[in-house]
Amino acid sequence: MCAVIERRTAARSARLRAAVVAEWIKVRSLRSLPTALLAAAVFSIGLAVLVCASFHARWDALPAERHRAFDPIDTNLGFLQITPVFFASLGALVITSEYGCGLIRGTFAATPQRGLVIAAKALLVGVIGWIAATAITCAAFLLGQGRLAGAAPHVGLGSPGAARAVLGGGLYLTLAALLGMFVGVLARNTAVAVSGVFAILLVLPTMVDNLPHKFLWRLTVPYLPSNLGLSVWHHGHLPPDLARPGVGVLGLVAWVVAIAALGTVRVRKRDA
Amino acid sequence: MSASPTFTGSAPRGTRVRATLRSEWIKLWSVRSVPVSLVATAVAMLLGAWLLGAGYQSEWHEMAASERTSFDPTYACLQSANLAQLLIGALGVLTVTGDYETGLIRATFTATPQRGQVLALRAALFATVVLLLGATVSLAAFAVGQSQFTEPVPHATLGQTGVLRAVLGVGLYLMLIAVFGMGLGVLTRSTTLALTALFGILLIVPSVLTMLPGRGAEGILPYLPAVAGSQVLHVVRSGNSLGPWQGTALLALYVATTGAAALVMLRRRDV
Repeated sequence: MCAVIERRTAARSARLRAAVVAEWIKVRSLRSLPTALLAAAVFSIGLAVLVCASFHARWDALPAERHRAFDPIDTNLGFLQITPVFFASLGALVITSEYGCGLIRGTFAATPQRGLVIAAKALLVGVIGWIAATAITCAAFLLGQGRLAGAAPHVGLGSPGAARAVLGGGLYLTLAALLGMFVGVLARNTAVAVSGVFAILLVLPTMVDNLPHKFLWRLTVPYLPSNLGLSVWHHGHLPPDLARPGVGVLGLVAWVVAIAALGTVRVRKRDA
Repeated sequence: MSASPTFTGSAPRGTRVRATLRSEWIKLWSVRSVPVSLVATAVAMLLGAWLLGAGYQSEWHEMAASERTSFDPTYACLQSANLAQLLIGALGVLTVTGDYETGLIRATFTATPQRGQVLALRAALFATVVLLLGATVSLAAFAVGQSQFTEPVPHATLGQTGVLRAVLGVGLYLMLIAVFGMGLGVLTRSTTLALTALFGILLIVPSVLTMLPGRGAEGILPYLPAVAGSQVLHVVRSGNSLGPWQGTALLALYVATTGAAALVMLRRRDV
């Protein structure tokens, strides 16, 4: 009895390892993923440097109220309002590109445990996403602050709240990648998944932002993924109605889990 | 030798156009994603108008005086066009790249080697569908949204200056975005690349520019495709934005340029 259970668990962990290795081969051998990650890095770091350099160049000409409202960390990390869309789209592509070219049928024929395949993909997206995201936010922060130095206020990684903002940004990007991946599992189609990701992370928050911040707004809008993300990485005065950083992380994780649950049910029930 | 059949060349132009239109019409509606996305667009517009209308109505007394004076009851109900443009733009991309990905494009161009004509007719069909659907749904969304507003919230009627233009403008804007998506689809021949380009131009470039300080970025902003084109949806004009028709003309110019480039590339490249 004991031996049977042992063998079963051994078989299961071997299967997980095999699934992860298989997914790793796919990730490693596809040119599009490293290219897209590189593009996200160039965009994010470039934007951070550009924004910081233009504040540096125009600092003396800016009015006093802009000086007062200026937060070197938030200005530097402003790209975190856009880059999550790239990470989420990339996450979605990990799945939808397989549906697009039909590879998914081979994958599910080799590993009929579809939940296991999705879990292995999520593991890789999480790990690769976290490493890339943290490297990008760190590099953007260090290069950006270097650009600010001399004219505008600037801080180091050791100053209060800086490390939290940088690591929080990396975490938000990672969770965005996972969110996008599960949106991809749900949509099974690149166009639908990518438009969905743009709608949730970029368009919806700007649309509802102008509404008066009252009862209904306070119950819903702060818990949109993009606003939860803002709570996680934002450093200076948060817009008053947004959630606290801890709530931000938990809320994002809850979003990922909810969409993952929906996606897993769907992937089991539908044809590949 | 003399008995060999003589080919009369291709069919007369009128017949060919009619046949192409018919086959493109079949292709448009036989893919499930088209009706599904169009219904989703309608739902997004109506639901958005209802929610935003209710939101402004219930919280009106909390708004600052400056927000009340600049409040645009028409645009408040039509804002969901910002969401609809994602669906319609993506659909525009897919009507082209879907054919490239499945290989159907080769069969299409074998049947009708006049490639420019095929794509132009497909664009005309899709644009007409989007224009009519957009305008109809927008009228309904306007009615839904305005029905939420009671005193003291100002509410708009179609008879007021600029209101009908803004409401029908939704159809016009979505139509231009749809054709823009098709053009980018022909240029890139890849769903992913075309979507990235479309959403990058429509959404990312404006957000990037608003992050930069100084006059340069502010000066460019009104001339971006999405910013210029969406002015037609506003009744209350803000800041240094372009006028509704100037904006639409500028977006149309961008779309026409993309379309022209797409037609040239379509003739030159393999399928």
